[in-house]
Amino acid sequence: MIRVHAELCSGCRQCEVACSFAHSSGSVARSLARIQVVKDEAMGLDYPVLCQQCTDRFCLAACPTGALSIGSLGEVLVDQAKCSGCGLCENACPIGAIRMHDDNPQVCNLCGGTPQCVQACTMQALCYEPDNTEHAMLRPADPGEGHTPDAKARQYAMRETDEHRSRWHTQGWR
Amino acid sequence: MYGYTGLKLVVELTSQSIEKSPLDRDLLHRVIGGRMLNTWTMHEELGADTDPLSPENTSYIAVGPLTGTLLPASAYTTVSARSPLTGIIGDSAAGGHFGPELKAAGFDQVAIRGRSEAPCYLLITDEMVQIRDARHLWGRDIFETHRALIEELGDPAIQVAAIGPAGEKQVKYATIATNMAGRTFGRTGMGAVWGSKNLKAVVVRGRQPIRVADSVRFKALCQEISERIVTHVEFPKRRRVGTTMLVNGLNDLGILPTRHFQEGVCDYVDAISGETLRDRYVVKNKSCYNCSVHCSRYIVTPDGEGEGPEFEPLCSYTSRLDVSDLQWALKMIFFMNRQGIDAISSGETIAWAMECIEKGLLSPADFDGLELCFGNTDATERMLHLIVNREGVGDLFAEGTRSLAAEYGRGTERYALHTKGLDIINGDPRGLKAYGLGYAVASRGGCHLRADPFFEMTNRFEEARERFGTEKAATPFSYEGKPALVEYSERNCLLIDSLTICKNIGQSMEVIDPEFAAEILTAGTGLAFNESDMNASISELRTMERWLNLRFGLDPRDDRLPARFAEDPLPSGPAAGQVVQVADMVQEFYRIKGWSSEGIPLDRPGP
Repeated sequence: MIRVHAELCSGCRQCEVACSFAHSSGSVARSLARIQVVKDEAMGLDYPVLCQQCTDRFCLAACPTGALSIGSLGEVLVDQAKCSGCGLCENACPIGAIRMHDDNPQVCNLCGGTPQCVQACTMQALCYEPDNTEHAMLRPADPGEGHTPDAKARQYAMRETDEHRSRWHTQGWR
Repeated sequence: MYGYTGLKLVVELTSQSIEKSPLDRDLLHRVIGGRMLNTWTMHEELGADTDPLSPENTSYIAVGPLTGTLLPASAYTTVSARSPLTGIIGDSAAGGHFGPELKAAGFDQVAIRGRSEAPCYLLITDEMVQIRDARHLWGRDIFETHRALIEELGDPAIQVAAIGPAGEKQVKYATIATNMAGRTFGRTGMGAVWGSKNLKAVVVRGRQPIRVADSVRFKALCQEISERIVTHVEFPKRRRVGTTMLVNGLNDLGILPTRHFQEGVCDYVDAISGETLRDRYVVKNKSCYNCSVHCSRYIVTPDGEGEGPEFEPLCSYTSRLDVSDLQWALKMIFFMNRQGIDAISSGETIAWAMECIEKGLLSPADFDGLELCFGNTDATERMLHLIVNREGVGDLFAEGTRSLAAEYGRGTERYALHTKGLDIINGDPRGLKAYGLGYAVASRGGCHLRADPFFEMTNRFEEARERFGTEKAATPFSYEGKPALVEYSERNCLLIDSLTICKNIGQSMEVIDPEFAAEILTAGTGLAFNESDMNASISELRTMERWLNLRFGLDPRDDRLPARFAEDPLPSGPAAGQVVQVADMVQEFYRIKGWSSEGIPLDRPGP
């Protein structure tokens, strides 16, 4: 799985650009990336959100057609032939890591073992740990309205960066 | 098209009309994009009598064919117009995340002319373009404006370029800023142009994929660029402290502007250095879109937090004013970023006043009683507020140093440190002769970014001899080889500004040269770029730039520096005794470029 070192992320989006480029034969668009950097310039928030290979595998559980499966690296695999485009996986993911694009689910598949985002990140904020079998414990997504993937990713990013952002303000300037 | 979108957006605010027009492929092949595209367009569209603050002036926003692609450091955007501060070509470039979003919204260039009857903002998405009411935003600072727009449009991912109260009041050196006021189109008063149009902001949201022609080749070239960047000897330092490395860097060379360029060495440099800033206030790195250096910073201080500062504002509000209070300087920088005012130009008006009082030419009575003495932070802070609001004597200061000195007279002109009305940046040219030449001849006025001839600091003697005819071209105090160095550097910088790429990387880290640029442009756009055609274009556009400036009334005799740099030797430090006299270098520079000794090109530009 790919671990995020939250405080190192500078918000440059190199990871998104590399991901999009690799998965679409040379196009760059945020919507084509399976990693999304949540940014809020008003609070210095920069945090890359991508599939954390959670223990519950909410997306698999939600899929009615069996189109999703787990690969040998722990990554989520999509069988496009079985996918009906229903979008229940997107609804189920608590952090907005699997998203529908043109009726197809997009999610990090670790690029088959050489994740491009990790290679691209010159801040070393992303760390590929293929032997790490600890999977994230995530709370289920709130089924209420207005929980878009972007909103869920933002909530997750706020939680994951809360510690260091609080520290900035309590320890303050030196 | 690949790389390019091939589209220009033309907005006429008086009639509230919006038009998309195709950009000619041959034109793009010729001018590439960014600054060259804007220059060409200004040459086509603006006249000798175009008043900079009138509806006839046009604000052009341009990106380059590689903006938003996989190419690192390619996020730069250029805003151009006739400058209200100088009367000649005005332009300013900024990084951040605005440029790639504009490309993804479908445009290579935006032209905004006319004047809206009521304050408005322009909303550009890949699905529609609208002119929207901004009366509720008028009066707000740039940070608050960005935040309000996010709420209004319900989308935290919008990119916003906005003016603050200073732009609204048409302070002649008002800025446009993006990234919640963290990244600035700082120089030449581009914010005042928007203010004169009642244009509060340009908001962009784009979802179109940006494609390249040969993705395999393009990726390989980008990997080469990435390698050049991360293995460059300056990479670790630039990542740690970015441009703020220049506080110590220039001080070590004896050329850190101190007390309004009266000294080049600052006794309290440790209190104000980039390293001290990093230790005390920086909580993490920030970065422009898709850049491998991450040279920016997020700071948390008792007076606020945010992205920044860069070297120029930092020096402008510390050593240049003889202030050692770093925390105060940061507070001023936040204020200027959000109110939308240029730190260099505002700082120079204040430093000028301080020296005039120090020399007994003027007194506080001439400045509404403000005790503008070197080091007086209270008086400086109050003056900044007056400038932003155009209140009291601030109204005069808002016109810029050249106007101030002309207004007050009495020998104060000697202390107005500008060229062509644009205030000199924070590098003392007496210790860097090529930079001195560069400031004197820069097409937007006293600025280092037209040429940025860092090579004179490198001591790379062998290479200097090969490329510029003499070893001395790689030493800072010599005049030899400098005209050739500046001529070359000027061409490379124009290329970099057109691709568009950050100059820290393209020029200072020597990552881009014309040969490489031709290859990556070809792979990216699918159009056949080659080095020799590109060099011809650069020469042509450089000449066109001069003709445009002449049309705007530029006097070639203003290709010079303020008297201080020619006549007052630096009193101490590593550059002690140095002055810089540019006249002979300027003549040689004209000769190399094929211009007359009067500084007029011998070629007229084609259509």
